[in-house]
Amino acid sequence: MIRIAAVGDVHIDRDVLGRFRPALEELPDKADMLLLAGDLTRHGTEAEAKCVATEFGGLGVPVIAVLGNHDHHCDEVPGVVAALTDAGITVLEGDSTVVDVGGTRLGVAGVKGFGGGFAGRCASEFGEPEMKAFVRTTGTVAERLGAALRDLDCDVRVALTHYSPVPDTLAGEPLEIYPFLGSYLLAQAIDSAPTALALHGHAHHGTERGRTPGGVRVRNVAHPVIKQAYSVFNLAPEHVSVPTASGN
Amino acid sequence: MNDYTEAEVQRALAEDLGVAEQGITVVRSDAGLVLCGEVESPHRRDEIVRLVHERFPGIEIAADIGVTRAAAPTEAEELA
Repeated sequence: MIRIAAVGDVHIDRDVLGRFRPALEELPDKADMLLLAGDLTRHGTEAEAKCVATEFGGLGVPVIAVLGNHDHHCDEVPGVVAALTDAGITVLEGDSTVVDVGGTRLGVAGVKGFGGGFAGRCASEFGEPEMKAFVRTTGTVAERLGAALRDLDCDVRVALTHYSPVPDTLAGEPLEIYPFLGSYLLAQAIDSAPTALALHGHAHHGTERGRTPGGVRVRNVAHPVIKQAYSVFNLAPEHVSVPTASGN
Repeated sequence: MNDYTEAEVQRALAEDLGVAEQGITVVRSDAGLVLCGEVESPHRRDEIVRLVHERFPGIEIAADIGVTRAAAPTEAEELA
């Protein structure tokens, strides 16, 4: 049994310090690790990242994160990453990490991701340079996520993103903004490896559960969606259904 | 109050660094604006209302903004 705690979109600043801590003190009794699905800060300053480090550091279990769009806003990403890393938090962007849980190796591959939309209603790499750059950005990060998942040497794979790989977990958001909330390219990357679970945030008005076209379970763990400090997912490796890879 | 004001309010909530909220829904009503959503602290709810009052004086605001609960979960989801 692997127990994964996860939350995203906590948007920490000084005014939030301490709010999560009582629940986090209980976390090692409930889960083997904590995954943070981006938008850890309010608008991406190093000072806010230090608040995140104070709130989510030193838990006694591995903490693995991706950044979100808010964490990029002030163009202080290196400082944000350094503040988190200094507190022992692993920050993924196109790479992966493996955690040993009682002899079972759980691999987590992560990217922030980006937008573009979903099958039949998505943006194309066509037209103005700005449009092509937008779509190309998503394509590039999705390829890095797929490669990171496929290259993992582990028993169970989990994909961690900020943007959503599927429209299912966006239900509740206005349809008009779906292309800014995620991309099917992330799902295609997730489906290109035998992924057991995909976790994301970003969609505050979305819903918790969905699946990729290849059958991988997707969970939106944005804090306003789960309405608790973190959710816990218990994965039984011997029962993890490995869907047929449908992506490439 | 028109479409342009509604758009300006929505953008101000995201782009003002003292607020930086993208998860607030702005809905026009007969009386003015209703702001809905959840934030991480009571201070942020107050800042949102203060910003809209300051930038858009004369617009009636009803704020249905909650503070997201942060308690430990009482159960796990079994993914077998």
